[in-house]
Amino acid sequence: MAELARTIQGGFVGSLVVFGFIGGSAWAQAQGAAGALVRYSFDDDLVDTGPDTFSVSQFGRGSVRLSTVYRFSGYRSVEIRDVAGDRNFPELQGYFPIRTEGKLYLHFAMMTTDPGEELNIALAGPQWFRLRKDGIAFWLKTANGYLTAISDSMPKKLFCMRAFVWYVVDATYDIDAGTYDLTIRQEGLESPVADMRGQANAASQPGSRVDKFSFIGDHDTDASNVVYYVDDVLVGVDEAIVHQPFAAPGRRKLFVDYWNSARRARAAHPKPLPMMSLADLGIGSAETAALRQNGAGELLGQILSGRLPEVPDDLPDPSRSILQSVIAWREGARALTDGDAELALARFDRASQLSPSAALSQMDAVMALANLARWDEVDRRLAGIVPQWRDDPRLPATLAIIGLARGDLDAVEHQLRPSAESSGLLAEEYFLTLLWKGDAARAETFAHTMLARGPDSERGLWRERLGDAAFLSGSIERARDYYEASLAEHPRPNSVWLKLSDVYFKLGDLEKERAFRERVYGSLRER
Amino acid sequence: MSRLRVASLLLLVPLVPQLVWGEDASAAQVQQWVAGRNVAAIRALGRPVLPKLVHLYESASDDGFKARVAQTFYELGWESPEAKRALMKDVHTQNQDLRLQVQWALGRVSNDQDVVDTLIANMRSDSNPLFRDKAACALAYDQIHLSEQQKVRLFGALIEALRDEKLDVRRIALTALQIQTGQTKGFEPGASWADREQKIRVWQSWLAQYKAGL
Repeated sequence: MAELARTIQGGFVGSLVVFGFIGGSAWAQAQGAAGALVRYSFDDDLVDTGPDTFSVSQFGRGSVRLSTVYRFSGYRSVEIRDVAGDRNFPELQGYFPIRTEGKLYLHFAMMTTDPGEELNIALAGPQWFRLRKDGIAFWLKTANGYLTAISDSMPKKLFCMRAFVWYVVDATYDIDAGTYDLTIRQEGLESPVADMRGQANAASQPGSRVDKFSFIGDHDTDASNVVYYVDDVLVGVDEAIVHQPFAAPGRRKLFVDYWNSARRARAAHPKPLPMMSLADLGIGSAETAALRQNGAGELLGQILSGRLPEVPDDLPDPSRSILQSVIAWREGARALTDGDAELALARFDRASQLSPSAALSQMDAVMALANLARWDEVDRRLAGIVPQWRDDPRLPATLAIIGLARGDLDAVEHQLRPSAESSGLLAEEYFLTLLWKGDAARAETFAHTMLARGPDSERGLWRERLGDAAFLSGSIERARDYYEASLAEHPRPNSVWLKLSDVYFKLGDLEKERAFRERVYGSLRER
Repeated sequence: MSRLRVASLLLLVPLVPQLVWGEDASAAQVQQWVAGRNVAAIRALGRPVLPKLVHLYESASDDGFKARVAQTFYELGWESPEAKRALMKDVHTQNQDLRLQVQWALGRVSNDQDVVDTLIANMRSDSNPLFRDKAACALAYDQIHLSEQQKVRLFGALIEALRDEKLDVRRIALTALQIQTGQTKGFEPGASWADREQKIRVWQSWLAQYKAGL
C-alpha cells in the first residue's frame, strides 16, 4: 500500500521559492510585544524575508504586493492576486516558532473584491498544508460566494461574503484539544457574522502542532482570479496581545496619524521619507514586468533589504537602470540618515536621473537640500514636485519639517509671514509649521486670513487646511464642516474625500465613511 | 536566411509553435511533444489541442504511446468529455503502464459519476492487486474536478468499501479516505467485523453531517 503514496501532494506549496520581492517593502514582525509570535501591519520598515519571517511566492501571473489602495489600518495592506490558468498561485506565507501545546491566537483582516473567486487561508504545522496531524489546523476558504471553514475534514458554510467589505477574523486555537473558537466581524456591524465555539480543527486531530500560516488564491483547480487584501496579521500566545487596540475591529489609521507619528519621530532634521510602495521608486507595472522577465525580482528584494550593493554585470536594461536607481536611492537615504547631506543629494539626483518617475528620490533630494540650507533650491524644486504629492499623506509633515529646518521657529515665522500671502507653497509651509509646533489657534487664524485675502483658486485648499487644523485640535465636527464647505471650490477633492472618510469614521457614521472612501478608491471595482 | 535569423526562429519554436507551423504540421509536432513528454509546449497550444490529443490516442496502435498520451491528459488536468470517452475504453486494459496512466488521468479530465464508479469497481474487484491499489490512488489524489456533492458520493463509496471482504481492499479504501480527510475515525482494516461496523457507523455519521452542511 506504500504505492498509494505515489505523489505526496504539497498542499498549498509545491516547491517554495522565496522572492524577497513584495511590492518592495515594509514588513514588520512583532517586536517587543511579549506573547506575539507574528505581527504584520504592513506599515513599518523593511524586514528581510526568510525562514523566521515570511516568504512570498509569485510564480505564474499572479502577484503578492503591498497596496495603499485598500487597507484596514494604517497605510498599507497586502494584495494577493491570482490568475486562472497560469498553473500556479501567489502565496504569502509566514512562519513562527513551532507551537506544540497551549493556545494560539490568530487575528487578521481580509477583504475580497469578488467572493465568487476562491481564496484559501490556513494555519498549518510541520506537515504543511495537508489534512493530517501536524498539517492544516485552521482553514478558511471561499466557495460559491460563501466563506467556509474546513472543520472535521468537511466544509462548513459560515456566511455569504460581500465584496469590498473588510472582515476581521479572530480565532483561538487549542492545540491540545485540536479545536478552535472563531469570531468574524464585518466592518460596520455590531454583532459578529460568525461566532463558533469548540470547532474541530481541519482534520480533527488533537495535538496538531502549528508553525506557519498562508494566504493564497486556489491551490488545485487553477480557476481562481481572486484579488483580495490582507491586513493586521497577528499570531500570538497571549489573548491580551490579540485584543490590544491594534486588533480592535474597525480600527483604521487616520490621515492625521501619519502626521502625529512623523512628529514624534523626526525632531527637526529632515530625514529620508519612508517608502510606501514601489511606485515611490518609479517602479510601476511595466517595470515590475520587466524585472520579472529578467528574473530580477529577487535582486530587488536583496537591494531593498541592503544585501546587494551592486547590480550584476550581465543584467540587461531596463532592469539594470531600475535597480541601479534603487541602489542610488538607498545609498542616498543612508547618507542622509548619517548626516552626509552632500553625498545624499548626489545619490538622490543620480537615482532621479536613472528613474525620472521616482518621486521619492526627488523629495528626498529636497530633504537633503534642506539639510544643506540651500533654501532657494529647496523652494524651486518643491514647487516643481509638490503637485504630484498632493494626495500623499506624507506631504504635510514633510513641508512642516522643511519649515522647521529653516532655522529658529520664530525666525521661520518672521521669514515666512511677509511672503506667506503671496506664495501658496510658502504659505502652506508656514501654516503647517505652526501646526507642527502645536499652535493650532494661530494656524487657524492664518488660514482664515489666507481664505479672505488669497486668490479665489485657493479658497477650497484653505478651507481644507482649516479642516486639518480643526481635526488636529480634536474638533471633528468643525473639521467636517470645513471639509464639506471646501468641496464646492476644491480643485482636487480626492484628499478632502479621504479626510471626510476619516472624519465620519471618528463620528461613527460608517456608511458615509465608506461612501467617501469608495469615492477615492473606487477604481479597483473596475479591475 | 542568415544564421542569426535561423537561430532566432529556433528560439521561438518552443514558445509559440502555433505561429510557426501550419495545422497539419502542428499535429505531427504534438505527436513529437507527447513522445518527448514536452507537456509545456502542448499546454501552450491551449485547449484546442485536446481533439488532436484524443485523435492521437485513438489512432495509436502502440499501447506505450497511448500511455504517454494519457499521461499528457493527466498533466494538463483539463476537463474533456472526448478525452474521458477515449480513456474509458482502456480502463480495463491488461497493459500495466497504460492501465495505470488511464486510471490516474480519468479524474483529471472528467468529474462524471461513471468515472468514480468505474474506479471504485476497479479498486474493489479487479483481479490484479496492483490495479486495485492504483485505482484507490486515483480516487485519493486525482478527482480534482468533483463538486462537494460529488465528493460526498465518493466518500460514501469509499466508506462502503470498508465493508469489503478483502482485507487489502479495506486497507486501500481506508488509505484513500485518510488521504482525502486526514482521518481514520479509528477504523482498523484487520479488526473484528463488529469493531469495523462500529467505526463504519462513525464514518457514516460524519458523512451525514458533511452532506447536511452543503
